[in-house]
Formats: sequence, C-alpha cells, structure tokens
Amino acid sequence: MKEQIMKKTVQGVLLVAAAALSACSAGQAVQPWEKGTLARPEMTFEGDRLDNSYTEHIYSSKEGASGGSGVGGGGCGCN
Amino acid sequence: MTSVSNTASKVLGAALVGAAMGLPSVQFAHAEAAPERGIISFKYLNYADSQSSAVSSSSSGSGSSGEGSERRGVVRGVDVISGASAAGGASSGSADRININAYSIMAMTPIAGKWSLGVTYTSDSVSGASPAYHTSGLTTMNDLRRAVDTQLTRYFQQGTLTAGTSYSSESDYVSKSYSLQGTLSTEDKNTTFSLGGSLTDDTINPNNKVVVNESKKITAGLIGVTQVMSKNDIAQINFGYSQGSGYYTDPYKLKDNRPRDRDNTTVMGRWNHHFQGTDGTARLSYRYYSDTFGIRAHTLGVEYVQPMQNGWTVTPLLRFYSQNEANFYVAVGAAEKATPTTPTDPPASATYYTEDQRLSAFGALTAGLKVSKQLDPDWAIDAKVELYEQRGEWALSGKPDPELATFSARSIQIGISRQF
Repeated sequence: MKEQIMKKTVQGVLLVAAAALSACSAGQAVQPWEKGTLARPEMTFEGDRLDNSYTEHIYSSKEGASGGSGVGGGGCGCN
Repeated sequence: MTSVSNTASKVLGAALVGAAMGLPSVQFAHAEAAPERGIISFKYLNYADSQSSAVSSSSSGSGSSGEGSERRGVVRGVDVISGASAAGGASSGSADRININAYSIMAMTPIAGKWSLGVTYTSDSVSGASPAYHTSGLTTMNDLRRAVDTQLTRYFQQGTLTAGTSYSSESDYVSKSYSLQGTLSTEDKNTTFSLGGSLTDDTINPNNKVVVNESKKITAGLIGVTQVMSKNDIAQINFGYSQGSGYYTDPYKLKDNRPRDRDNTTVMGRWNHHFQGTDGTARLSYRYYSDTFGIRAHTLGVEYVQPMQNGWTVTPLLRFYSQNEANFYVAVGAAEKATPTTPTDPPASATYYTEDQRLSAFGALTAGLKVSKQLDPDWAIDAKVELYEQRGEWALSGKPDPELATFSARSIQIGISRQF
C-alpha cells in the first residue's frame, strides 16, 4: 500500500516535472543533427568532477545544507 | 573495536569490489553514449579561511595547544579549550583558521564501447584552529582524510545504469557509501528521467573519546528529469529526499547535543543556455533545501563559460547562499558577549542545543574565476580562484546571531588532465 502510494507519487512528480519542462520548450523537438552545441562539455550538467567534488566538500563542511545534485558520495567528520 | 588488520582488509575489500568514496557523487547527466576516450586528471586544492574577531590559540600561550602535529581531539578537549580560547588581546584583525591541502587523481576508461569505469583517489590534510562554541574557544586541529570512489556505468540504447561505492577514512571518522542510479531517455533523447538511491554507513570514534563507536546511517533517493528545450537550451529538475539517523552531535564542540535523526528534502533546478553570438554558455542553478533540524536554505549559482582563442576558456562565477538557523541553535548570551571565554549555557529546558555557527542564520557569497587551456587534443590545464564570505546580516530569513564574526575563505585549484 505504502509502496503503491510512493510509486504513484514518484510517477506524478516526474510527469508534472516533464510536462512543466516540455511546456517551456515550445516549438518543435530538437533533432539529432541539431545537437552539436548540446554535446559541448559546458552544456552538460556533469562539469569538472574533481572541481565539483572539492567545491561540494567545502560547502557541505561550512554550511547547513548539502546535496541535491546527485546520489552517493561519502560523509566526513568535517560537519 | 576494530583491529588494524581488519580495517586494512576492509579497505582492500572495498577497493576490490569497486568501492569507493565519494565526494564526486554520481551526478545526474543526460549523455547515453559510452565515452569514446578515457581520461586521467589530477587536481590540487589549497583552501584557507579566517575569521575577523577570532583569536588564535597560539596567542594564548597554552602549552598543549600549539602542538600542530597532534591529532585533532587530542588537543581538543574541554581542559585545553579554556587555555586556548579568546582571552582578550589580539582580538582585532583577522585570525587564520583552517588550512587544507588536497590532492585528487581521477581515471576514467571506456570498456568495450558499452561500459565505463571511473576511480577517484583524494587525500586531504586539514590543519589549523576551529572554534569550540560560536566563534570562540579556538583549538588547534590536524587531520588527514583519504577517500576512494569508484563508479561503473553500463550504457544502453536509451539509458544508463551506474553503480558507485565510496570509502573514506580519517583518524576519527570512517564513511562507506553505496549508490545505484539509472537513466531512461525517450526515443528522440530529448527527455531523460533519472532515478537514484544511496546508502551511507559512517563510524565515528572521536579522538577525545566522548563517545566510542558511534554510527550514522543515511538512506537517500533522488528522482529527476532532464529536458532539451532547444538546440541552445537544456534544463533539469531533481527532487531529493534523505533520511539519516545516528550521531549528529559535533564531539569537539562545547554545549552541543543534536537530534539523532536528520531528514532533508532538496529541489534542484539547473538551466544551461548557449549564446551563439558570443559562443559563451550561461549555467544557472538553484537549490532549495529543507531539513528536520529546521534549516531552510536557498542556493543560487551563476557561471558563464566563455571560450577564447588558442584553446583558452574563461569562466567567471557567482554564488549566493542563505539559511535560517536550526531550531535548537543557541545564540551568544550576555555573559559570553562580555567575556568570550564563558560559553553560553543553553536554556535549562532544552533537550537539543548547539552553538555551532554553521547552524546559525547567515548568508554567504562566492565570487570565482576559472581559466583553462586546451594545450592540444590530449592535454588540458586549469586554474581556479574563489573568494567566500559568510555574514549573519546576509541571511534572507531567520534570526542571525549578531555576535558571530564574519567568516571568510579563499581557495585555489590547479588541475591537469590528459585524454587517451
């Protein structure tokens, strides 16, 4: 029962998010041959991993909030 | 009690299973194709912070507090704190606090066109002084943290599956984490759904032995969607939930007793836009964070990536952060205000309390600049400088503690990478 509710919630949230994002992307779907720019490293959400890991580590040890962009990653005694 | 050999075998075991540590958490990406080339990167970080009214312990003349080679906790005890704290004098100007030197090496290789394996090793040594309550009672500390992180990804026609493991160890803290993440794209690959989860199991053995073999377990999940909006725009929304239980108290702080449960919810939105006129890319991000300590935080980030001639790229960045205080934060009282060596007593009725400035209300600003250069098709180098400042009056909400001193930090990164 609880699992079903969770599943429904997850589906609902994803659908709403997808709909919201799609609604913003008015016009035609982007075609594969139009994705040259999107393939550039600065257009991805991954970025420089070592830079991100240092930066996230510092912020999570100096501020109350952390996380939000991904899963995993270990803890430390710094916070 | 864990014997040395037991610990060593655990470390080896973790490494063998493809384990690892992870501050580089599994980031939600949208690429489905396996990478064509491998990469090896090295990065050095130097970080130093300071606080305007804090008094360094070395100025107190306390016999034991100046021994920087001691493990933290050995010199961080209540008895030492009274001798090492801000007992008048030298209270003007800026006192240095923590200094970090870190090295990371990352290697990622594609395997058989359908897999990729990434391993990251990080070593960071921390030294300096940390306050025992509010911004007072500085005591010296010294620690070395080593971490290994491994990620294995399988690429499919319309998705990916990534398993990650993390292991990190300090003199007083061991963290193990396992994660699994999947992505699924629509046929046109313009929409990608992501789902991930992780388990973290930490063991805490403070050097001052205020507790022994404490633990902290965290279960976290994240769902998200990434949408191609146009040939120059891509956006992402992630919802995260994390449930933690165990030892959240800071064993090295005075007057600190935190709840054993901490759950948080995050909503993160990111948007990248490419300007064809300048060939530059703006990267925007916003995160909302809320937890059961009562902290609500907003984080807004903006950076602009501008490619230049001869392989140079310049990226200026700004970040604003604000949080309100935890609902058990105890502000500086009248006695402490008059005499910083007297920590404020929590209200007699309080079950939970903290005088950790990181759980107070504040706002923070970061300004940074990154410069990188692609030397040839294989080699690239980069350098980054960031300046950071925290102030109570910059908080968007909550009740800032006016007695806390402004906190500043600066960091420098230098990196080199080679594709093969």
